[in-house]
Amino acid sequence: MNKRERYNNVMGYLFISPWLIGFFIFTLFPIIASFILAFTRYDVLSPPRWIGIDNWFRLLEDTRYHNSLKATFYYVFTAVPLRLIFALLVAMLLKPSTRLAGLYRGIYYLPSLIGGSVAVAVVWRQVFGSEGLINFILGMMGIKGLNWLGNPSTAIWTLIILAVWQFGSPMLIFLAGLKQIPDSLYEAASIDGAKGWDQFIKITLPMLSPVILFNLIMQIINGFMVFTQAYIITSGGPLDTTLFYSLYLYQKAFQSFEMGYASAMAWVLLMIIAFFTALAFKSSRFWVYYESEEGK
Amino acid sequence: MHKWVSGILVLLMCLTVFSTILPAQEKISLRVAWWGSQDRHNRTLKAIELFEKKYPNIKIYPEYTAWNDYWTKLNTQAAGKNLPDVIQHDYAYLSEWATRGLVLPLDEYISKGVIDLSSVAENQISPGKIGGKVYGINLGTNSLGMLYDPELFKKAGIPFPKVGWTWNDFREIATRLKNKLGIYGAEAITKADAQVFKVWLMSHGYWLYSEDGKSIGYKDDKLFVDWFNLLLDLQSKGAIPSIETDIARGTLGVEDMFIVTQKSAMGLLWSNQIVAVSKAAKERPLRFALMPRAPIPNAKPANYLKASQFFSVTSQSKHPKEAAMFIDFFTNSLEANKVLLAERGVPISSKIQKSLLPFLGSSQREMFNFVSLAEKNSLPIPPPDPPGATDVVNNVWNPIVEQILYGRITPDKAAVEFRDKVTKILQQR
Repeated sequence: MNKRERYNNVMGYLFISPWLIGFFIFTLFPIIASFILAFTRYDVLSPPRWIGIDNWFRLLEDTRYHNSLKATFYYVFTAVPLRLIFALLVAMLLKPSTRLAGLYRGIYYLPSLIGGSVAVAVVWRQVFGSEGLINFILGMMGIKGLNWLGNPSTAIWTLIILAVWQFGSPMLIFLAGLKQIPDSLYEAASIDGAKGWDQFIKITLPMLSPVILFNLIMQIINGFMVFTQAYIITSGGPLDTTLFYSLYLYQKAFQSFEMGYASAMAWVLLMIIAFFTALAFKSSRFWVYYESEEGK
Repeated sequence: MHKWVSGILVLLMCLTVFSTILPAQEKISLRVAWWGSQDRHNRTLKAIELFEKKYPNIKIYPEYTAWNDYWTKLNTQAAGKNLPDVIQHDYAYLSEWATRGLVLPLDEYISKGVIDLSSVAENQISPGKIGGKVYGINLGTNSLGMLYDPELFKKAGIPFPKVGWTWNDFREIATRLKNKLGIYGAEAITKADAQVFKVWLMSHGYWLYSEDGKSIGYKDDKLFVDWFNLLLDLQSKGAIPSIETDIARGTLGVEDMFIVTQKSAMGLLWSNQIVAVSKAAKERPLRFALMPRAPIPNAKPANYLKASQFFSVTSQSKHPKEAAMFIDFFTNSLEANKVLLAERGVPISSKIQKSLLPFLGSSQREMFNFVSLAEKNSLPIPPPDPPGATDVVNNVWNPIVEQILYGRITPDKAAVEFRDKVTKILQQR
């Protein structure tokens, strides 16, 4: 019995060993290494040198770092809510099971499939370029276009719009959530005379709130880690208004080869994300409604 | 069953034996790394084919990327003790790599004649010297120049830039071009790597960094302020692209440069880039002028000759001699240079320079003429940038240039801030 159990355990670990090995080599080891490196000066060419908490102090007075924080927060606090609202809106439209619903769902999901790719980012550059599609259309309507990517107040919005456009995966999750809401609730509400907006506020939102929480957390985490779009479309400019956290981290690590400093940055980012995730969880008891038990 | 097993064992044994015998035939493989454009990749790959034909026992494995990824890759390889045998190197990093012992001194191979430098002038060898030893062989000579479109100048009725022209002349010419033709006078003057500011200082008799690399090399902030007032003036007149336009354009392929699309009459370039730009401009004739001098009496020249890039042998190479032979082939083989066609700058061997002349296209010839003109009007090459210079350019210079040109900070304030921040970075190292 005991022997058999042990045998089973060994076999079990053996079967998941490909994943375990991957986890230890490619995840756990780098995490530990980056934590140690965060206390060193390491330029890759010579061995790391212990400098204690210097890196962390330098973060406090690095103005470009502060710019990157500003840009990232601005992005997260605009792009994430907008994307969620948009995703919910489209999910509501696609909810009725008409004959073509499947096709529409597929089409609306497409941007998310390709959205994170380099190719789309390159296209985006062209669309918003000073002689790009947007300015061309504006020109036809007799409006003189802006230099979207070169103007410090509009550049980040090209990235936010790109993010909102990739609403596919939260939309699918919302859609699944919407389908779970029993029709009987809406029927009862109609009989009581509640109109569309009231139904949405009183039924849809509360019933959907666990799904909203899930989407919110996933999108916050994603939002803080945004990189590719800014790297290709704006490379952080103008005036550092799109210098997102991960982008600056990348520049520090792989262009200036300040691995120690970049590692310290990575750990601060982890703490920031953990803080906002925790905040979302904590606040959930005030606005997330679970059917099964009171409050929890 | 047993037969099968022993059969497989025998087979395996044979394979191991064979695989140990085969290298005894001295098939040597070398890894060669460089950065560059697609044009350079094609030319270099062809030259490598010629090398392999000449030395059939040596196989070359090329590793090529664009400049941006090149150093990321190389640094990682250095940390993993997996460097290629021959690497293309840059003046900015060579001394650092040499002092860390990552590249080999080549003097032994030069004195033995493996690398034949008998037809190379000393001033072409010296840029690759660190502490008296040669760590890199110059692949071509370059100088910064003002490329201009003679046709547009004629159209506007403006005489071509002359030797000894100053930044004041430049301002006037660029503005007139703008007013007459409605195009930009010049582009790439605000280049992102402080290079133009450096030659501006040079012509005043200074340099961006002090000799010991611990502080800024000029005392009077007026030099900084004057430079940016010039740029702001040109920007407000529309004589150069605005910072908004330049940022929106991002990093460009040559095809999108304004000098190529005839939206600008001048553009700042390294001399070897004329080949790629002319190609993009469908071989429309373009010409080089020397860099404008400082608008002061007795200004010094604003040009110097730079080794465009080096080939170095890494200390992790198992076949340094063959690696040296490869470098020699690049330097001295006419066949190779006919393919490379001075794309990396004017070849350093005077013999090759002469025998290459009949094979040059018009843009290469313009480059050769310009480099020899620059040689007569040049200052000695400035010392390599101190460690920390990349940090200075990325995190101080570029952000401050943007702030000035967007009008967020005055040049006077910026000059003080620049000095403070740069001094801090340089003294930390």
